[in-house]
Amino acid sequence: MPEPLLYLKATAAAAIVSATFVLAMAGVRRSAIATWLNSTCVLAIGVGLAAGYSVLSLHLAWPPRNGLDRLLTIVVPLALIIELISGVERVPRWVAWFLRISLTATIPRILLHGSVYLSRSDNDWTLWQASLAMALCGALLAGAWSLLSCLSERSPGVSIPLALCLSIQCAGLTVMLAGYIKGGAAAIPLAAALVATSIGAKLVSKRTSPQTNIGWPAILGIGVVGLFGLLFIGRFFGRLSTERAIVMLLAPLLCWVTETSLLRDRKPWLVGSIRLVFVAIPLMMVLAVAKHDFDRDMGPLLGVVGVSNVSPALPLTGDISTKGIFRRDRQEDTQMIQTTSK
Amino acid sequence: MRRVSTIACLALVSGLLAFGSVNSASAADEYDYDLVHSSVSFKARHLDISWIHGRFNEVSGKFSIDRDQPAKSTFALTIQVASVDTANEARDEHLRQPDYFDAKQFPTIEFKSTKVKPIKGGYAVTGDFTMHGTTKEVTIVLMGGKEHDFKKVKRVAFSTELSLKRSDFGFDKNAIGPIGDEALILIDCEGVRK
Repeated sequence: MPEPLLYLKATAAAAIVSATFVLAMAGVRRSAIATWLNSTCVLAIGVGLAAGYSVLSLHLAWPPRNGLDRLLTIVVPLALIIELISGVERVPRWVAWFLRISLTATIPRILLHGSVYLSRSDNDWTLWQASLAMALCGALLAGAWSLLSCLSERSPGVSIPLALCLSIQCAGLTVMLAGYIKGGAAAIPLAAALVATSIGAKLVSKRTSPQTNIGWPAILGIGVVGLFGLLFIGRFFGRLSTERAIVMLLAPLLCWVTETSLLRDRKPWLVGSIRLVFVAIPLMMVLAVAKHDFDRDMGPLLGVVGVSNVSPALPLTGDISTKGIFRRDRQEDTQMIQTTSK
Repeated sequence: MRRVSTIACLALVSGLLAFGSVNSASAADEYDYDLVHSSVSFKARHLDISWIHGRFNEVSGKFSIDRDQPAKSTFALTIQVASVDTANEARDEHLRQPDYFDAKQFPTIEFKSTKVKPIKGGYAVTGDFTMHGTTKEVTIVLMGGKEHDFKKVKRVAFSTELSLKRSDFGFDKNAIGPIGDEALILIDCEGVRK
């Protein structure tokens, strides 16, 4: 069952730990260089996630048993390590992107490991279907990641990581509404740690040189990988539809809207606000549809009053399929009564 | 001549041994799980006040029953998790998700016997029970075993009830929620001789 109070605690823990870490590290070294700031951001996200997930008590297994275990114990740590390496100034740009592309190519395979999709039994995917699906997913991730990085270099700003966090939080809620509560809950500490680190990094960069690279690539990298992972497990292990998953993955790319000639030279706060509004529109639409589906399918199961025509006294039998039966029964009963009275 | 007679003797002995082994192998009757006349159902507590009933519609299995040496009998059962049916499609979909059975990751529930002991009215079967990716040794009491010839097809039937704690099989304790931890599995199966 969803536990809002626990989610609030996990959000607070992840955000406070990440923000405190960034500010404390900035205090240790006042003349921040790019490598230092980047490493600080990566570590801040790492400790924030650790704090958030420990509050959430997700009971992750090692060796990992399912997709969520693999996402949080293999994929996200790999993304943190790659961003830590990529943030070092001496590391050539092509090496950083080689590592990132390698990660995007392997994530689908890691997440699907041991599942029915790769077991090649009669009812599931063939080898080429599985390879094609994994290649397409990897390409989608690589495309989203590179386009966001490109935008971040052209027109940097805290609005891009914030848009990504908006998408992550929306993905978590949608996965939860589709019935995979634990998978959706995993988004909460991730979004909180990324928001806190982004804001902390922005504050630190104001104090240091504004020209300094303030760790956006690391924040974006971990955010995109986290968002993709959540949507992937929601789609392949839960009941999240492909269309909704793609919309939520690509929604942050709407930040590119501000690169049009009409909006490009506006004030930074206006550009940031426009980006967030544009990203929020498709996300809110997805969320509204997901809520509607939840009320229709899951509401009666949870005995939520007011979401179904069925009496709350029958919370476990009143789904769409049985509603018809009840109606038919009532009609038949009425007919029987009429026949008897005749 | 002596060599020929020695070879002939050896051939005779090995032939007898081979016949004996074939004979002993044929002592065990092989049966296939009859899906039409069998059922694997379960019930679990809801809010600790009532029971939710369900069944698995896709089950397969094999039994090998050795009447002379019951300890050599074997029992194997495979349940397709995705075939869960609680007479409510939305709930079935929910049960297939990772918070419960995680049908895409753990598509089957399996039982494979490792030790069989005859008891009055049936067998005490110890075996590996695998559910949700976790294997535990359990002992089930299979009652029945009576054979019946129906239209020249030999049939045998068993019944058992098994109580399991979902938390013992790696189900998330946080997701147990309103559905009780303990589940009662009821198996009534009929085997058709191959």
